[in-house]
Amino acid sequence: MPVFKLNVNNKEYTVEAESDMPLLWVLRDLLDLTGTKYGCGVASCGACTVIMDGNAVYACQRTVSTCVNKKIITIEGLSEDGSHPVQRAWQKAGVPQCGYCQPGQIMAAAALLGKNKKPSEELINETMSENLCRCGTYHRIKEAIHIAIEEINK
Amino acid sequence: MKKTAIDRRHFIKITSLSSGGLAIGFMMPGLPALAISAYDCEFFQPNAYIKIDKKGKITVYYSKQESGQGVDTALPMIVAEELDADFRDVKAEIAPYGTVPGSEHDTGGSQSILGMYDSLRKAGAVAKAMLISAAAAVWKISPSSCAADNGEVVNTVTMQRIKYGGLVCEAAKLPVPKEVTLKNPKDFKLIGKSEKRSNLKDILTGKTKYGLDLKVPGMVYAVAERCPVLGGSLVSVDDAAAKRVPGVLKVVSYKGTGAPMHVRDGVAVIATSTWAAIKARKLLNITWDEGKKNNENTEQLFKTFAGKAKDAPKIEVYKKGDVSKYNGKNELVAEYAQPFLAHATIEPMNFIASVKDDSCEIWGGLQLPDWAVNTIAAVSGIKKEKIKVNLLLMGGAFGRRLHFDFAIEAVKIAQQFDKPVQLVWERTDDTQYSPYRPANYHFLKASTDEKGSIISWQHHVLGTPIAFMTEGPDTKNIGEMDGADHGFCYAIPNIKTGYTPVDFNINRGWLRSVDICVNTFPVESFIDEIALKLKKDPLQFRLSMLENRPDFKTGEGPGALTQSPARIAAVLKLAAEKIGWSSPRKPNHYIGLATHSFIFAKSYAAHAIEIEMLEPKKFRIVKVVAAIDCGLVINPDGLLNQMEGGLAFGLTQALKGEITITNSRVNQDGYFSYELLRYDEMPPVEIHITDSKEEPGGVGEVGLSTVAPALCNALAAAGNRPRSLPIRNEGYSWV
Repeated sequence: MPVFKLNVNNKEYTVEAESDMPLLWVLRDLLDLTGTKYGCGVASCGACTVIMDGNAVYACQRTVSTCVNKKIITIEGLSEDGSHPVQRAWQKAGVPQCGYCQPGQIMAAAALLGKNKKPSEELINETMSENLCRCGTYHRIKEAIHIAIEEINK
Repeated sequence: MKKTAIDRRHFIKITSLSSGGLAIGFMMPGLPALAISAYDCEFFQPNAYIKIDKKGKITVYYSKQESGQGVDTALPMIVAEELDADFRDVKAEIAPYGTVPGSEHDTGGSQSILGMYDSLRKAGAVAKAMLISAAAAVWKISPSSCAADNGEVVNTVTMQRIKYGGLVCEAAKLPVPKEVTLKNPKDFKLIGKSEKRSNLKDILTGKTKYGLDLKVPGMVYAVAERCPVLGGSLVSVDDAAAKRVPGVLKVVSYKGTGAPMHVRDGVAVIATSTWAAIKARKLLNITWDEGKKNNENTEQLFKTFAGKAKDAPKIEVYKKGDVSKYNGKNELVAEYAQPFLAHATIEPMNFIASVKDDSCEIWGGLQLPDWAVNTIAAVSGIKKEKIKVNLLLMGGAFGRRLHFDFAIEAVKIAQQFDKPVQLVWERTDDTQYSPYRPANYHFLKASTDEKGSIISWQHHVLGTPIAFMTEGPDTKNIGEMDGADHGFCYAIPNIKTGYTPVDFNINRGWLRSVDICVNTFPVESFIDEIALKLKKDPLQFRLSMLENRPDFKTGEGPGALTQSPARIAAVLKLAAEKIGWSSPRKPNHYIGLATHSFIFAKSYAAHAIEIEMLEPKKFRIVKVVAAIDCGLVINPDGLLNQMEGGLAFGLTQALKGEITITNSRVNQDGYFSYELLRYDEMPPVEIHITDSKEEPGGVGEVGLSTVAPALCNALAAAGNRPRSLPIRNEGYSWV
């Protein structure tokens, strides 16, 4: 089976996997990084959102062979202790209900704010509408994003 | 840490605290879970819910299953209140299966707070009493000279203090008191104040392990192809191509089951990764016998409903007075329809099972673990005592995990493999093989008198009953679909309601707000419709039938519930006031109202929704106001979460939620075709909580059923009333 070198959360991993295995299953089944969630496998829910070279990507849509020489950040590596401004904002707003979609929500928001410290409401809407939450925590996600924006612009 | 001989005092003490015989602090011998192997008084554990260690760290075990509704916070708050603990010292953990009576793990019907409030208060008070006695012994004074305060016992004479952690060894030696005094609720310090979810940080850092995230040593993965038609069977499978996929370990087939869970015949691929199993599954070449019921479709089902709607209902549900006297007199009729719905939790169904010889261990999220284990035992032939159950967190449930079809499947697959197997449902499986909220149809007829009051009310509900699936077609139980019944809140002198079951070949199940949701949409729409026809104010029209009506019982005996029209009126008035019902409206702005109760959970809620019409069938939701009375609120932040979530759930149903079926197959295959509300569609909401001193109720379900009728009533005020959901099918769009 082919072998791939991956940089995940600033650590080098060597994985043996079929080249068409999506990054999602590499992270979850081979590296035991289960913070990246499986929701749909077809880019419809955003639960598997990770940050690759600064961009939010769906881990279910990237085969492992396309992830070599990329810097991949998952929820486990966003901060060591939950201190990333977006995580702190999520804590302050008390966003989660079941919490299952929240790693994907947080990664989507972190990628957005990583590129644009003062995104417009339209851009926030467009970005966050890609991530589903069945519990309906959208109000708090909105509140948290604005807390994070305030925080990073201090 | 020295492991000593087991001192019986270190076992969780068996005690019966309530006069009603409710056992709290219960430990079944032989179960591993909390069975304490007596580490030399490292901690004090007076019952199944509380463990305090020498550092004063308190673990509260919550026996209800967490799926986002916040029992991991509200239940520990109740314990900590009576224990007078510092809530920052409290850690919440799932009560392992078997450490409380089996049925206590059951989680549904918004019953967690109702069911646990008294016993958890007592559990906390018992522990506190024992800590106080321990301190009194240290100080050699009477316990009456001691008080508990924020994790410490205080000597009220000398004002000396000992932290709970310092009393662990002494307290553990004491007998468990039979009687304890509970706090006066006016002295509550924690209950009623917002607490953020316990274990929040684990969620935000990706550390939380939901069922799908758990790795059991040696575990492999499975996905399954199921018979496309319920009741069909497997004829043959050619798995040669599938087996060639690298990582595939085995392909197994299993037989389906009938009631209660209706597992379909299936073929599972077991592999070293989920991906290998998913890939190989696509290469299975299976021949199915679809059976005779392979050509049913929802279009025909709704025609059948409509065809029977005006006939007499097959089953009479409730009768008061004599409606026949008013037939044809000053009459208004309307028909309403709602589709099948799926739960669509973001975490798809999944389950881990490991079978060795005659025993089995299982891991997963279950809302009714006891029923699941009993059924698994019956289906698998493994004795119940030989099944070890590990309950896990759920990435959403909404009633989906009251069903345990996926758990039965996992055991059937694991019985054919010598390692633990995690069965993963793909999103398509989750959308296409679920137990769906029944499709339903309503025929309503009302007559009004010369004063403009409703004098007679008839409601014929037609539906595809859940009980047919869980209990079989001969069941007399129509429970969840019974329409306006003994608890009908509006004061109308003549009422007749009935139900007509129509069978249909798709599995059905309980979805959040089960029958309440089914009936609130037609009832609150029709009331509004009558008000508009009579040119009456929809608020005052409702209030005239609610406000002066005293509370009443829904039946005889201990199962009877209390309906309170006054509380329904109060939340309606509150919502109407806060949205500005009586104020002049801006041009093209319209407001709709709806109110209801969920008396099984002792809760009452209303919604008021303001919309702006942009085009004849295009609107914007300007604002939503919700009002709720659920009695004493344990955790206001948790209540707000449930109301916000209820709005999203209700809007999804109102706007776009729909499962359709062609040739006995579900047409939708995931979130692109079974759409959920998205971030940019969430309207602004205000939630108002009444200041109620009534006993605490449940709030998981009461916050969604009034959303669709309130929205439809706003659209009706604008000129066109939608009578079927989702309203997208009636040509509506929104921004």
